[in-house]
This record gives sequence, structure tokens and C-alpha cells, in this order.
Amino acid sequence: MTEKRSRRYLTVWMIAAGLIGSLAAETGAQSFDFEKLRQRVSEYSVCVKIQVEFSFGTQTNEHEERLLGTIVSDDGLVVFDGGFLVEESPFVPTGGFSFRSTPRRITVITLDEREYAAEYLGVDRFTGFAFARITGADGKFSPVRFVKVSEFKVGSWLACFALLPEFVAPPLAADIGMISSFVTAPESFPLTVGFNSMEFASVLFDERLNAVGLLGALNDPARRDGQPGDLMESYDQMEIPLLGVITAERLDPLIADPPRRGQTARSWLGITMQSLTSDIADFLGLESPGGIVVNEVIPGSPAQASGLTVGDVIYGINGQRVDVDREEELSLFQRQVTNMGVGTSVELAVIRPAGDGLDTLSLLAVLTAAPLAASDAEDFEYEPFEFTVRDLVFSDFIGFNVEQNSLHGVVVAELKPGGLVAISGLYPGDVIQRINDRNVNSVEEFAEKMATVEAQRPSEVVFFVWRFGQTMFVNVRTDWP
Amino acid sequence: MDMRYFLSAMLLLSQPIGQAQTPPESYQERVYLARDRVLPALVHIQPVVEDFRTGEQKKLAIVGSGVIFHPDGYVVTNYHVAGKAKRIICTLSDREQLPADYIGGDPSTDIAVLKLRLDDYHGTIHVADLGDSDSVQVGQQVLAMGSPLSLARSVSAGVISTKDRYFSSDYRLPSGEKTGRYNLWIQTDAAINFGNSGGPLVDLDGRVIGINSRATFMANNLGFAIPINIVTEVTQEILADGQVTRSWIGVHAQALQELENHFGTDRNRGVLIASIDPGSPAAEAFLKAGDVILEIDSQPVSGRFVEELPAFYKNIARRPPGTRIGLKVLRGEEEYSFSLETRPLGQLQGDDFECARWGFTVRDITRQMQLTNQLRDSVGAYVTGVRRVGPADLGGLNSGDVVQAINREAVNNLPELIDRYNLLVDSAYDKVLLTVRRSGATRLVVLNLETTGTGQLND
Repeated sequence: MTEKRSRRYLTVWMIAAGLIGSLAAETGAQSFDFEKLRQRVSEYSVCVKIQVEFSFGTQTNEHEERLLGTIVSDDGLVVFDGGFLVEESPFVPTGGFSFRSTPRRITVITLDEREYAAEYLGVDRFTGFAFARITGADGKFSPVRFVKVSEFKVGSWLACFALLPEFVAPPLAADIGMISSFVTAPESFPLTVGFNSMEFASVLFDERLNAVGLLGALNDPARRDGQPGDLMESYDQMEIPLLGVITAERLDPLIADPPRRGQTARSWLGITMQSLTSDIADFLGLESPGGIVVNEVIPGSPAQASGLTVGDVIYGINGQRVDVDREEELSLFQRQVTNMGVGTSVELAVIRPAGDGLDTLSLLAVLTAAPLAASDAEDFEYEPFEFTVRDLVFSDFIGFNVEQNSLHGVVVAELKPGGLVAISGLYPGDVIQRINDRNVNSVEEFAEKMATVEAQRPSEVVFFVWRFGQTMFVNVRTDWP
Repeated sequence: MDMRYFLSAMLLLSQPIGQAQTPPESYQERVYLARDRVLPALVHIQPVVEDFRTGEQKKLAIVGSGVIFHPDGYVVTNYHVAGKAKRIICTLSDREQLPADYIGGDPSTDIAVLKLRLDDYHGTIHVADLGDSDSVQVGQQVLAMGSPLSLARSVSAGVISTKDRYFSSDYRLPSGEKTGRYNLWIQTDAAINFGNSGGPLVDLDGRVIGINSRATFMANNLGFAIPINIVTEVTQEILADGQVTRSWIGVHAQALQELENHFGTDRNRGVLIASIDPGSPAAEAFLKAGDVILEIDSQPVSGRFVEELPAFYKNIARRPPGTRIGLKVLRGEEEYSFSLETRPLGQLQGDDFECARWGFTVRDITRQMQLTNQLRDSVGAYVTGVRRVGPADLGGLNSGDVVQAINREAVNNLPELIDRYNLLVDSAYDKVLLTVRRSGATRLVVLNLETTGTGQLND
């Protein structure tokens, strides 16, 4: 994924370099006071050094990135480009494997070379922006203040600063671009031209030197690759994200309540869905398109409790029309539900095909917490056996092609090549269902049972394992220290 | 008596007889003798096979080898050479070309039988002698014959490297069937390449002891042949019925070697059941993973090593479907008796069909397909491929989806899908609604035929 991203960077960089060159010749129209801007930016622009551990099954790599960050609150909340911090979507099939990136160490360096440690919080899936909070600062910071813009005008100029390589001084370089289009579908988004992906997450200013937002792209978190710009890509083969202004309206809620990895208050209904296109509306005998077709109702979910069934069409939520008639717009509905919060009651207006006719229903659902992504699931490293297990999540069941919650056990998330369980024949993605004939339902139980087993120091431990539809026994010949 | 001990005893007994029959010539002379006995029966096979993997029915011209084993012109080859053939041309050792008909095949052992059309052939049909693969020895000198990389009538020499090589039955043929469950393999260092598939592995008495089927790439001189005794059983059944019928009880075994302590079994006693197919006779009889089968119909069985597992599977499969078998089973510390009735294994895969106008291919769902693909039931038709930029691709259909309704009318199996397809293709329509199942969810897929032209594409 990071490879794809860096390829993107490269292509965009090359294209953007050409564009900037051609623009530079005729920029008489813009009038930025760059000296004043530089002073202002220096107050809250920082360099974020982040060490990340990437792991995928048996592979683990360390990696360091150096990125431009922006302080967005006086207690030291920093936002930066989190596109490379792969956080899996909870809704994308895993097949048992999970790619996880774990930020190990973040250092925030201000332009006057003060260094702070920072705690990693999480990535916002819709924008790809990562958040960290400076720890151990002695005073308050002067953060950027975003200004809400009532209307973005095509042709108006914007400026931003890019972070230059470490060996270059001064560290910031100015760049200009302009609003190229203001799109309203699938959702409202001011697009820009002239900027490049290297400047992702940098502050954008208008000519009055107001900070109007951050340079970014919009993702569809439900999509398979979940890359920045998935929701709006330019229509060529290179899949270049259309960069635009992530506005104050979008940023303020994130700054007030930054995403936290693995412990969000995201809520869900518990369905898989598709959009009610005009074609499907025709086939179902509905007068107009726009709605959510329910493809699957997850057992134990709010949807199931509300009485929603497969084939139902949700056309209204809390008295508001759900106007989703293209797949690209599904994420709007998802975001709406996601942001309502756990415990919220929602009234669903539903059309249910019944025989040749259609029934209209009103159903009440109380939202519960959305499932975790595989990379955020509870995990447990069992060092004597040189491997890590994690809880089963929603996306595992999709990946395994089995019905939700139809399996119990813990998933082998990582194992050391040549380690004890690896040589015993266990693979990443295996689901351990029993330890020595005793059922395991969660990582917590796994840890408890292994502690009991370890106390007896047996010469072998037998796991009963589910591997893509078949079961088997795996004997681990122990090697207690 | 222990089966392995019994087999080795047989080897010892048979060896002096074999040596007595061996003419005392030099190696070179014996190679010439073997060549002269088998090369005239060698067949170069050029099938045109159907392939549905890309979402459309494509024809592929491939090359394989075979050997004539019956004076009426029957040729044995690999299923992966001729199993999906629509047209077969054979070249005999006298370089005459003859068409051949596909008689039947068995993907589980990767064996197929063809019959040469001899009406216009004026030469002499030579039949190869078949040997006894149970009495071959490691280190025994052998010849491989066939058409490596399409180079017909090629002979290579080597020895038997191993006579009981085990491969997991998760290996799939190019057409998708799992193979190798009921046999071990003879491994040889006689050079085997693409195109050798289906050709004979021959001992120096000029008898066929195996059918060369697999080679290992990225390695030198690792070829694998299906033992001729297995081949003979399969070809006889194909000649009689056109197919091989097997019994199924739905158990998957695992070698006990590393688990004897855990299950408290004695050495060389019992076969461990590791997995049970849902809805199978074993599941209905309440057999469980972890049970150890000690006896089948009062005969002891053993599965200590993986090399013993094919014989166990065959032991069950060889019985006519509907046979009642008695199992003595060790569960925990107790022994229990189970009685269950076998059911036919059935086809590993169903028939293929191309919905050319809609841009995808489908396959009828057999029970074995349902099990290997973890489908909840066998209702519908399984999408094997989606043609790029066709109506189904644009509508969002994926390989692995199961089509369960067309225009909201249920489609229970492939014949029903074909009926609906033919009906709709002949009528004036521009949109079709498919209801598919994908990973436990139901999904609607609209095929918009207007935007992709109205021509009769491949129909």
C-alpha cells in the first residue's frame, strides 16, 4: 500500500512540477504576502518524525517518516499526513491476514528546534489525516485557527508550504495553487489545481492570509484499498487523488474529538448495503431512486433488533430522506450513521417488497459500537510460542466467506518465521478454536488458558485449528525456558 | 497383520521371481528392449481444451502424451490433458495422425481415457504392457516417454527416486478440481517436462509402471508418476461406466504421528479424524473431529504417517455408494461403534456455461464445490469468471458470486440459469437484475446491456 502511495507521490510530483512551472509565468493575479505568511506558519508548523512498525503475518519492518505537521490546539494536538499509517477498514475482508502499522515513537520538532515527544492517537478514515498529541510540554502552543469560508470561488488563489528535505535550510518552501472546481456530488468538496501530494495535510491560505483548511483528499473507507482520494479520483489510469480543501467545517469536529485508534465511539446499524440506483428502483417497482438496499443483517446488530431484513430499502432516517442513488454516495450514509454515536435511537423509514406489492414500515434502531478493524482488534503476544493472536472481527467473517459470528476462536495474527508455532505448522490467519480440547472464544480466554497450561509445563500443547473451511490439530512441542 | 509389513513381505517374495524373468542383458540392451516394447504404443496428444477462467469460453491448444493400453485403440493420459477437450488429435509413433474421442476421466486421480478413431488407420496398433507398481523399487532404472515441450517420441532415463511420495490433496488441476486424494506418487529423476503429462514411466522389462503427471519447476529432475495399479483400476471403471464412482462419508484425516500422546493411541493404530464436512454421513452419525477410527468393518486401519492417508480414503471411496459401514472409534478413552451409510461423492465440479451476452461464466454447484468454497448450500450457479468491461463487470459481478435469481425469479441450478438466459437473450430487453450471494450477503447486480451494444456477441 505504501508502495502505491509513493508511486502516486512521484507521478503527482512530476505532473505538479510541470503545472507549477506553467503557472509561475502568469501569476500576476495573485498577491500573497509571503513574508508575513512564513512568520505566521512558523508558529504552528512542525516536523513530525515518526517511527512505525509495519507487520504482515510473518513479516515485520521498521520504518521512519519525516512529515510536515500542524499544531491545531493550544494543548499540542498535531495533525499530519497519515496515509502511510495503514489502518484497516473494519468493513473490508481480511481473509485472516491483517496488515498493521504500529507507530512506536513520534517526535515533534518545532521550527525553532524545540523537540517534544508525542502520543499517537489515530487516523481519520475519511481524510487520511493522522493525529498525535504532544506530551510533556511546559507551556501552551499557538495553534492554527481555521476560518470558515462561506463560498469557495473557482479561480481564487491559495498558498501553502511544503516541508523540504532535512539537509535544506530553511525547511519550508511556499507553493501556490487555486480553486479549480467546486464539486457538490458525491459530496461538497472544493478541488484545487497546482498543489501536489507532497504537500498533503499542509495548511491552505487565501490571499487575506486566512487559514481556510488543509490540503487533502476524500476517501471511501468502505473500499477495498482505502487509499486517500478513493472517493474522488481523477479519471485516468494513474488513480491520482483529486486534491482539495479539507475545510474548517470538516476539521473542527476532528480537532474537538480526534480519532483514537481502536477505541472510537463510531456507531453502526449492522448491515451490509448497496445504493438504490435508478435501475434497481425500476426492478423493485419503486417510483424514485435513492436509498439503501439492505444486503445482509448482522446477527445481534441493531438492525436485526429493529426487525430490518435482507431486501429492505431504507429511504429515510430520522425523518430525513436518504438520497443515495450511486455507490459512491454510500459513504455519506455510513458517515452519518457512524457519527451519530453509540446509543443513539434512529427511526428508519423502510420499504419492504412483499409479494407483488410494497410495504412501508417505520423501524426503530438503537445504534451500537461499530466493529473494530482487524488491526485494532484486541491482541495478545504469547512469547514462549513466538506468536500473536487477536480476536475475530467482522471483516474476518467476510474474508473467510462464512456467515457473521459462525466461528469462535482467536486468529493467528503474527508469528515469527522459524518460531515454535511456525515450525509446528500454524499459519497467519488460522483460527485457534481449542487449546488441549478446551474451547477458546477470545484473546482474554486464550491468555488465561495459556497461563494455566504454562503452569504445568507440558511437553506438548495441541491446538485445534480452523483453516478456511477445514479443521486440524496442531501439536506445538514446547520449549519452556 | 500390519499392512506395511505385509507389503514388504510381498516385495521380498516377488523379487526372486522378477529377477528370474529378467533377461541377463546389459543395461543398454535392456533399454533398447523397453523402448521397443513401449515406444510403438506411445501417443502424442494435441487436445483443444475449453477454458472458462477469464469470464468467457476460450479455446486453448495444448500438448500432452499418452499410451495405448487396449487393442481397440484406448489411450490413457492425464485428466488435465484431455479432461476438458472438445477436439483431440493424436499422433502415433508411426507419425500418422488420428482423431480421438474422449471416453471419460477422473480428476481425483488425474486420469483420462481416449479412444482413437481407427476407421481410416491402416497401420498396426501396438499395446503397451502394464506392470505392477506395487513391486517397483527405489533405485530401479526407468524410462520416461512422451512429448516434452511438444517434442514427440522423446525418451529419457533415470531411476525411481521414491515410490511413496505423498502430496496434499489441496493441489488443484488447472480446471480447478482438487486432485491426488487417493494415490501416492512414484518420484523419478528421469527428465519430465511440460508435454510429458500422460506419458508412460516404463521399467526395463518394457512394462508401464506409472503415468507421468507432474514435474517440479525451479528444480531439476523431480518428476512424479501416478502408479499404474491405481491407473488400471480407474481406467477399468471408466471403460465400464465412463466415470469413477466413489463413496463419501465426509471425513478428513490427519497423520497421527505427532499426536499419539494427545489422543492416547498406540502406534500404528487408528486414523485421526481432523475435520468433518457439514451435512455429511459422518456429521449425521455424530462423528467428531478428534475421533480416531480404529477399525472399518472390523478391519484395523492405520494413519500414523501421511503416506498412509490415501489408502484410508480409498478404503472408504472404493465401496459402492449406499454401503453401510461399521466404524470402531476411539473417543477420549472410550471405544464406540458407529454405523453409517456412504453416499456418492459425486462430481467435484459441475458443468460450465458461458453467458456470453452478459459477460460472465458460471458453473453448476456440486456438493464438493459447495464444501470447498464454503457455500451455505448448493442453490444457484457459481460465477467462475467475469469478462473485463462486459455488462457483468460494469454491473459489479465478481468471480465467486453465486447467482440465485434472475429478474427476481429464483435460479436453483445451472440448467435453470441456462433456461432463463436463453429465454432472455431471445427477447427484447436491455436490463437484467441478478440476485447474487457474496460472503454471506445478498447483493443486487444490474446488467445494463444497452450500453454495451445490442449485437449478438458470441451467441
